[in-house]
Amino acid sequence: MYDTTRTESAVTQTDVKISARNVQVYYGDKHAIKDVNVEILDKTVTAFIGPSGCGKSTFLRCINRMNDTIDIARIEGRILLDGEDIYDRRVDPVQLRAKVGMVFQKPNPFPKSIYDNVAYGPRIHGLARSKSDLDEIVERSLRGAALWNEVKDRLHEPGTGLSGGQQQRLCIARAVATAPEVLLMDEPCSALDPIATSQVEELIDQLREKFSVVIVTHSMQQAARVSQKTAFFHLGSLVEYGDTDDIFTKPRDSRTEAYISGRIG
Amino acid sequence: MTDLSSNPVKAVPSARPNSGSLYQRDTRTRRRNAAEKRFRAYGLTAILIAVLALAFLVTTIIRDGSGAFRQTYLSIPVALDAEILDPQGNRDPAQMASVLTLSYGQVLDRALDRAVADLNLQIPGLQDGDVDGLVSRDASAQLRRMVLDNPELVGQTVDVNVLVNGRIDGYFKGRVTMQSAERDSNVSPQQLLLAEALRDEGLLVTRFNREFLTNADASDQRPEAAGVGVAMLGSLYMMLVVLFLAVPIGVAASIYLEEFAPKNRITDIIEVNISNLAAVPSIVFGILGLAVFINFVGLPQSAPIVGGLVLTLMTLPTIIIATRAALKSVPPSIRDAALGVGASKMQTVFHHVLPLAMPGILTGTIIGLAQALGETAPLLLIGMVAFVREFPAAPPEGLFDPASALPVQVYNWTQRSDPAFVERASGAIIVLLVFLLCMNLLAIYLRRKFERRW
Repeated sequence: MYDTTRTESAVTQTDVKISARNVQVYYGDKHAIKDVNVEILDKTVTAFIGPSGCGKSTFLRCINRMNDTIDIARIEGRILLDGEDIYDRRVDPVQLRAKVGMVFQKPNPFPKSIYDNVAYGPRIHGLARSKSDLDEIVERSLRGAALWNEVKDRLHEPGTGLSGGQQQRLCIARAVATAPEVLLMDEPCSALDPIATSQVEELIDQLREKFSVVIVTHSMQQAARVSQKTAFFHLGSLVEYGDTDDIFTKPRDSRTEAYISGRIG
Repeated sequence: MTDLSSNPVKAVPSARPNSGSLYQRDTRTRRRNAAEKRFRAYGLTAILIAVLALAFLVTTIIRDGSGAFRQTYLSIPVALDAEILDPQGNRDPAQMASVLTLSYGQVLDRALDRAVADLNLQIPGLQDGDVDGLVSRDASAQLRRMVLDNPELVGQTVDVNVLVNGRIDGYFKGRVTMQSAERDSNVSPQQLLLAEALRDEGLLVTRFNREFLTNADASDQRPEAAGVGVAMLGSLYMMLVVLFLAVPIGVAASIYLEEFAPKNRITDIIEVNISNLAAVPSIVFGILGLAVFINFVGLPQSAPIVGGLVLTLMTLPTIIIATRAALKSVPPSIRDAALGVGASKMQTVFHHVLPLAMPGILTGTIIGLAQALGETAPLLLIGMVAFVREFPAAPPEGLFDPASALPVQVYNWTQRSDPAFVERASGAIIVLLVFLLCMNLLAIYLRRKFERRW
């Protein structure tokens, strides 16, 4: 759909973390993702933008095989994480999801304490050998999610008692705690107020230093603010992919231009 | 994006609901308010009818059944004649056991005659046998049990509490009157007068009937001795069987169907069948239990294990449906969250979904258990309606001993001719209701406990 040669030449300087090859997704009879090819870079924030129902969330959920939980979803093509096909028969999706964390649209902390929320991932993956190890991971993750100072005195209070923005940062801390390599964020700010949004955006910018972050967003301003790479999806196809600055200032496809100027959506 | 300016909204004055003052309600509003008021009245009436019906039910049961918890006893000194009760004279319980209840009857009759003679009562028309007829037919057996338990009593004169005949007991509870006694071949008005005189002397006492809760069933002739002990134990054993079988099987089946099973034609068929099973008349399960557990497997009749198995089959659909509904109601975002941090399917279910579904599962389970507790029809078919005098042993062996069940006991007693049994039946219903109440309280408590979902 887009000019692959240009993107490939543009990305050679940085490591490719994830590369999608001819990915097709079907929901029953619906062809939801049509032949998507994309290379997502390490230590970079990549934004997926596009009108509702364009398949950006669907594609995001392919990257950590969350679509496996949907019975009617069928995926073709290959998605390589560090050169390994995550849809290979030998791959256990559970192991994959420990490497590719996810933050969802609606903050969804477990109905447990703040501490247990963050500690859950490390516990089930056996990342901590002792209680103090675990404490350290929890603190590091909460600090990483810029939440530590707000909750350090009430770690054993319920996570669901926090405000929306805090809950979302708790979810980020929870995702970060398992030390993933890629962090997928599905419209992480859509349920948040502007202040919480700006906090999360700042956080995303910091997370880039350690992970490859892929963020789906409805807000083009957000994409422009936080991402270095942007992919524009339309009707299940990847229309254009490139540096964020280029996409927003000189889009090459007329549909991209129409979208960012607000004429489709 | 739609261009709003190309499609201007036309002002249509007639479309306005009310152009007049807000203080004036228009016809439409008045009609709407009247309809709402009517609907509220219907609802209130419905609630009122329901509450009245419930109140009527409860008061009737308590009025009829409270009598079962009070019983009249005769307390007289009885000379335990050694020559009759221990002819060998060596106080050996084994030899004393050969003395029949009949002999104890003689001893008791003699004591009763003396007690009445001592009072020097003048009751015209009182016949010889009337005095002996005051006590229950079970009284001599009671005396025999007492003596065999304490052989050293023989030869002494001891104060004995024995049951009074059901008719006399009924007289003090208002069930039997002078008029009804005249037509009754089992009791005469003179006996009632005598009983009244004895009560005035303090020999007849009506007190709390602990034996109702601990005694086994008794024959048609001695309603005063009948109790719900065996039935309570039988019901308890069956509940244990149901609890240990239906709950794990039901919950495991629901978890598998809801969380793990692929959605295809086979699971659809299973699902429909489970829903249908919940609607199958319970007596069908009784026939099934008779055919499978008794005739095929060869388990004993009237045994709580068979009753429990049948009730398990009956309760399973209820538990499965309730559990699946509870699992379904757990928000998918929680599953996503757990899967997203790399929890396996099973970890997701057991760490997050199940604890959140717990209150619902518990409620469903307890509803199922309560349903099973009150079930009668299937138990009739597997022989639980048999007349059981012996207490079952402690579990697990006791599960194979014959026992009765509370609802079956109620059914059984309502079949008997003596009105004293109607009182017993209502009493047993009260016991059953108390059981149910306790289970509901437990459900509420557990719900509260697990519902700390923050």
